[in-house]
Amino acid sequence: MIRFIIKRMLMAIPILWAVLTTVFMLVRVVPGDPTIIILGDQASQAARDQLRQQLGLNESILAQYGDFLMQILHGDLGRSLTTNRPILHEVAAVLPFTIELTIASLIVGTLIGVPLGVLAAERRDGFADWFARIFSLVGVSFPAFVSAILLLIGFAIQLRWFPVISSPRDNSILEHLRALVLPSINLGLLMVAYVTRVTRSGMLKALGEDYIRTARSKGLPHRLVVWRHAFRNVLVPVVTVVGLYLGVLIGNAVLTEIVFNRPGLGKLIVTALNQRDYTLLQGLMVVTAFAIVLANMLTDITYGLVDPRVKTS
Amino acid sequence: MRRYLLAATAVLLASSVAMARAETTLTVGMAAADVGQLDPDRATTTQDLPVVSWIFNGLVRFRPGSASLEALEPDLAQSWEKSADGLTWTFHLRHGVKFHGTWGEMTSEDVVYSLQRAADPARSAFAGDYAAVAAFEAVDPYTVRIVLKQPVAALLGLVANYHGGNIVSKKAVEAEGADFRVKPVGTGPFAFSEYRSNESVTLVANTAYFRGAPKIDKVIYRFIPADAARDLAFASGELDIVYGRQDERWVERFSKQADAVVDIVRPAELSLLHINEAQKPLDDIRVRQAIAYAVNRPQMIAFKGARTSVPAVSVVPAGYVGTDEQATLYPHDVAKAKALLAEAGYPNGVTIKVIQTSLPAMLSTVQILQSQLKEAGITLDLNVVDHQSFHAEIRKDLSGLVYYSAARFPVADIYLQQFFNSRATVGTPTAITNFSHCAVADKEINAAAIEPDEAKQKALWKTAQQKIITDVCAVPLYEQLQVWAHNKRVDYGYKFEGALQLGPLLTEATTRK
Repeated sequence: MIRFIIKRMLMAIPILWAVLTTVFMLVRVVPGDPTIIILGDQASQAARDQLRQQLGLNESILAQYGDFLMQILHGDLGRSLTTNRPILHEVAAVLPFTIELTIASLIVGTLIGVPLGVLAAERRDGFADWFARIFSLVGVSFPAFVSAILLLIGFAIQLRWFPVISSPRDNSILEHLRALVLPSINLGLLMVAYVTRVTRSGMLKALGEDYIRTARSKGLPHRLVVWRHAFRNVLVPVVTVVGLYLGVLIGNAVLTEIVFNRPGLGKLIVTALNQRDYTLLQGLMVVTAFAIVLANMLTDITYGLVDPRVKTS
Repeated sequence: MRRYLLAATAVLLASSVAMARAETTLTVGMAAADVGQLDPDRATTTQDLPVVSWIFNGLVRFRPGSASLEALEPDLAQSWEKSADGLTWTFHLRHGVKFHGTWGEMTSEDVVYSLQRAADPARSAFAGDYAAVAAFEAVDPYTVRIVLKQPVAALLGLVANYHGGNIVSKKAVEAEGADFRVKPVGTGPFAFSEYRSNESVTLVANTAYFRGAPKIDKVIYRFIPADAARDLAFASGELDIVYGRQDERWVERFSKQADAVVDIVRPAELSLLHINEAQKPLDDIRVRQAIAYAVNRPQMIAFKGARTSVPAVSVVPAGYVGTDEQATLYPHDVAKAKALLAEAGYPNGVTIKVIQTSLPAMLSTVQILQSQLKEAGITLDLNVVDHQSFHAEIRKDLSGLVYYSAARFPVADIYLQQFFNSRATVGTPTAITNFSHCAVADKEINAAAIEPDEAKQKALWKTAQQKIITDVCAVPLYEQLQVWAHNKRVDYGYKFEGALQLGPLLTEATTRK
């Protein structure tokens, strides 16, 4: 197991390097100039050139790239161009909120998606199946920012159950959780759709297998057949989808974070991009890429746990 | 019996209200993802200026609620006088004014330091405004003298609570270094307390404020970039004050909300269409005139909304010192535009490449322009890019037409210098925002800047504006007012009609019920 983890970590290095290089080059190809943000639109060209010099933006791309890689190797993400604050500090300030939101949405997505998928497969072509299929279709095709606003209008404005601004700080644990409910449902709904579909099709296949017929003819109770015999075989695809979704959730968190006004990685990435804060953007990409690699590794480890046939060594 | 019950309930309610009032927090929602700069010498954006105005004072201040230079009143200076030649100004400071926290008393040393800093291009975005100053001197701890090389139009504006006129603590700036931009220290009614990137800036009441302790204990300035989320947070009562949208439908919708008051205030941002004279076929004045004749201002106002926008009067915003409010603009005349194009050798019309931001409010204006110009046979080939790319590319001289909207310090000089003096032409080292390569009025702009006689100065500015309009360096379109809304429970303590700082001033008198 340890060897597996080390091997995966080593494999992550070239992936991270590729991501970093792409990001580094891309942000510099996109037109834009951080000095307009920093100095405002009344500053002269001379003042802006001076600042570019100070920020090291006048060096050749290759020299900047070299500096950047050296910095990363030292475990230092540098400082933000616009706020001059250490990037690690900026990331550390928002990372817990992103992790919290991602986990809460995973829980929402799995707790609703799996039972719904199983139910749909059990009652194939029945009402529950139709409901699940329509629900997941709508879920897949519904943009996160639209569902977010609908949730806010319904539960924050009409019913007043939850706050509009989900700023999770300064509050008691209860308030904190209350502010987490709508964003995690919003993000989780997207996942429900996929989890339901994967669970349903996996279950349909499993329920048609010979050993299920055997189990049934032995006289085993229906629930036991479904959950112990059939469902265990669906775990691997479900874990795959959930694992893949960790990455998708981090990406989709952007819209949810913006509409619900939560601090988080996604929101920070958008700001950094809009301000052409190259260093901050690079730092955030390192963190995001690392998180996705880590999520994939966790998924692979989980395979071994849910299915003894999968060997991780 | 029932009456007693009612009375008892009222007492209970009153006491619970009194307990809840232990701390009054005012929450403001801003349409931005994050703060840019809280250092007053660097802060230029709409999201930065209001916060800065709550933290700092100037020697004089704009009367709260007004954006007019006529409404200046004493602030950190109690009184002032100027010499007969207008070249020496002496300011007498208030005694015993304390900076926030433990940064001590504000004296002439801080004032001189602040103004020198504001005039230093390495440390300030507004150094150009102070070009005519020879020296800032501390005569004694409570007297400051400003010596000028030549008379300056509206000198008091340069020492007001706006941009470089804000007085910073010398000790704090020197101790904090680069951190000052997110840890500002001033003398204003509210002191900086905390900054959370992408989230909020929190200020607390400065109980030692020289005009008296503020009635609000805490101000939370929240960054809410999503329009819908900001509006919903105001509707749910989580925001007391909200940055509005310069959009007629928004104003209408908010005016109907029971507890909302919509504030439509000055200064207006003037929208100009700058025409790049260095590009073909725009180097031909007949083509530029054709564009001017093709623009239909009344139709544009009808689209933008009559409550939030007014027609432009000149190439400088209305109401500034020196604006020619009666300038002769090219009227809307499509036939004339077509004739001019034909005369210039383009009977089949022209196509002009335009780089345009994807920002919805700005893009929609240019789309109207596109359809208006189309009627005269002028085709705009729009290349729509994101806002930051737009800002970078127009400064590289890449666009034939530049639609730009801005408000500046309310003296014609600043607007003319930045947009129409050839020194500010894009692509040069001294570039600011002269996108048109305009050079027709250099002589008048430069002469006006150092003209001691006010009447002559205004005459020079008037000539400059008319020359710029006639030569079609830019076509004036419309002026867009600032839009805010506040909950009825908030009382600013003054009539909010304008603020050069682009947002409501929060003072010691501001209350929240």
